[in-house]
Amino acid sequence: MSSTSTRRDARGAAPPTSSLLLEACDVSRTYQLGKVSVPVLKGASLRVMRGEWVAVLGSSGSGKSTLMHLLGALDRPDAGGGRILIGTSDLAKFSGRARDRYRRDQVGFVFQFYHLLPELSVLENTMLPARVGRGPFKWWSIRGEVRARATALLKDFGLDHRLRHRPRELSGGECQRVAMARALVNNPALLLADEPTGNLDARTGGEILDLLAARHRAGLTMVMVTHDVNVAARADRVVRLVDGRVALE
Amino acid sequence: MAGDRYHAALVYPFLLVRRYLTSRVIPLIAVAAVGLCVALVITVVSVMSGFLEMVRTSGRTLWGDVIVTRQLQGIPDYESLIAEILKQPEAEAAAPVVETYGVLRMPYPFGEEKSVNPVQVWAIDPVRFAAVTGFDRTIWWKPPATDAAARAMRPDDLRLVLPPDLEERTKRMVGVNGRPGAILGIHVSIGNKREGDGSYRAIGDWWMPNHEVTLSVAPVSGRGRSIGDMRDLVMPVVNEFSSGVFQVDKQRIMIPLEEGQRLLRLNEQPIYDRNAVPGPDGSLPRIGTAPARATHLFVRAKPGFDSRELKRAVEFAYDLLYAQQQQLPKSERHLPERDMVTINAWEEQLAELIGPVEREREMMRILFSIIYLVCAGLVLSIFWAIVAEKTRDIGILRAVGAGRGGVLSIFLQYGVVIGAVGSAAGVGLAYLFVSNINAVHTLISHPVPNWVVVIVAALAALALAGAVWSGFRDTILWTLIWYVVAIALAGIATGLALHKGTVIWDPRVYYFTRIPSSVDWWTAGITVIGAVVFSVLGASVPAARAADIDPVRALRYE
Repeated sequence: MSSTSTRRDARGAAPPTSSLLLEACDVSRTYQLGKVSVPVLKGASLRVMRGEWVAVLGSSGSGKSTLMHLLGALDRPDAGGGRILIGTSDLAKFSGRARDRYRRDQVGFVFQFYHLLPELSVLENTMLPARVGRGPFKWWSIRGEVRARATALLKDFGLDHRLRHRPRELSGGECQRVAMARALVNNPALLLADEPTGNLDARTGGEILDLLAARHRAGLTMVMVTHDVNVAARADRVVRLVDGRVALE
Repeated sequence: MAGDRYHAALVYPFLLVRRYLTSRVIPLIAVAAVGLCVALVITVVSVMSGFLEMVRTSGRTLWGDVIVTRQLQGIPDYESLIAEILKQPEAEAAAPVVETYGVLRMPYPFGEEKSVNPVQVWAIDPVRFAAVTGFDRTIWWKPPATDAAARAMRPDDLRLVLPPDLEERTKRMVGVNGRPGAILGIHVSIGNKREGDGSYRAIGDWWMPNHEVTLSVAPVSGRGRSIGDMRDLVMPVVNEFSSGVFQVDKQRIMIPLEEGQRLLRLNEQPIYDRNAVPGPDGSLPRIGTAPARATHLFVRAKPGFDSRELKRAVEFAYDLLYAQQQQLPKSERHLPERDMVTINAWEEQLAELIGPVEREREMMRILFSIIYLVCAGLVLSIFWAIVAEKTRDIGILRAVGAGRGGVLSIFLQYGVVIGAVGSAAGVGLAYLFVSNINAVHTLISHPVPNWVVVIVAALAALALAGAVWSGFRDTILWTLIWYVVAIALAGIATGLALHKGTVIWDPRVYYFTRIPSSVDWWTAGITVIGAVVFSVLGASVPAARAADIDPVRALRYE
């Protein structure tokens, strides 16, 4: 995947475009729980186009989060268990460093339980992905720019009065907005959201979805995992995971 | 990518380490543990090193740099030898000393029966002896040198009201009555009581410079046989000295050189021709004079020369004088062969004392290195708990692009910081304790004032009340904490009430009246490095475990 062109395209005003961003081909993933092998994905396939918002719908244990972890290079498919193509490159064959770099530069994660670092302030949590992988000289050269970008994102999400606060001082909705700002601070090509409204009340969840929709309208490609049909309905396209396979697309 | 390759230089581990350190209690426990370990090692080794240094310093102060010894027979013609030694560029001063042992009859108590002390007697020439050893600085009863020193003394300190001629008489070793006198070690007389501030107070009327003592010695020949009866010498006490070495101050007295030589028959003696026919009065014709003798010569090195260089110079001077005397008629050859005398540097003189203490110090260093393992173990267990607690944070970091190396470096840097901060705290604690060790010792060597016991007991009662109050509020943790505090304070109060004063540093055992109170910075530096290294070693296992955590499992970790 060419990150520069992707980002430039992703910031374009007319999503979705027809070009392919990512493709999972016949992906399998089995977990070993003690002596028991638990196959979670059994040949799932998914294509994500640039600027598209895809909702992955499925019941608990259907493999939604596993699929998201594989797309975000947090996990690898089983040996011989399919391919995840970024352009012509197979993500499963990336080295550890290349996968770290991919997660930092190309992907933003939003989790159900926000996953903010409790010791860091709102602004520091947001700036964290930009710090990762930077030495002191590089960081000093980009720090001002990153701070401005993070502050702008937090302002967009209505958190400009919370920059110095710690996560424990925020509501659930505010935490999720910080997590979204953190996911977007490096201008990723793909946002992976795992049940982003699953821990929020309906009204707050709706606000979060509105913010995601706004980002999507601005060109952001999103894959959102959910078990809520109403939430999935906000997406451009809904795929259903049943028994480790994509049942409907 | 370069950032991952050189992960130690990444900025986010530094930020996280700073936050982990300042926002949590657990790492502070690790810091405290490292600090206490470091403080313990530095304190113990510093006191031992200080003791060694005091032995060395006092040895040089008591003897000079090189000691020429010939016990019993003494060194004849020592003045010629001194003159030859002083021609050497390495030598600054030399002094003859006659050493013997005797019995000192003290003026106390009142009545006929007097206290008697065995003493070591050094017969000295006070001016030359002071030039070599700085003996004049150890004289105790002398007026304060400055107004500030006078103001620092207690108002009833006798040094503020000394007889005006005492200082001058001390230099000449002459008593009030004009007779040659003795200078006693400050602890020879039990009439001197040491105060908490290190000064001395005379008990009752027993200020020694107002009294006379009787010294009895038995002259012994070079073959170890007694020459005649015990000889008594009644002498006024001119002054007292405090060398800081308890054994010396308890046993040694100084008398004028001529008196010592006379007592031991080491003074100048006429030589008679035993083969001649006695004269009308029965006397033999005198054919010469045997020079006076001294059992020791103490020699001081000039600045820039050490004791071993001076020793070689003294050996050279001796050999030269001996060779010169071999050219003279036999009756004028006085100096014995060099094999008959001992020439030692002061370190050799003290070897029997210094050697075991040095070995003991090294043994302590080795034994205390176990403390490093304790440090490493503590850091390992605490970090293991921290890694478990921070598992989800590790997953978050991996999700935003952190590599395994970055995660590893967080906990390694954390180990470095814990080791460095703990070591700094330990050095500070050790410095405070060692600098004030004599005050602490004075404190614990006295019974605790009752008001302190009452205050601690009152605090224990308050803590007990807190425990009861917490019990009513149904908070088990705070109830438990208050009970523990109450029990601890009650134990401390009981201990303080029963404490009647414990003298740990007994000068009779440790030679010196004061505990060494300077930090051994060399040891402190090594200890700090060791503590940091072992803290990092302790952190390395949990750090590796953290780096190996699967990010997916970490994100799901509850």
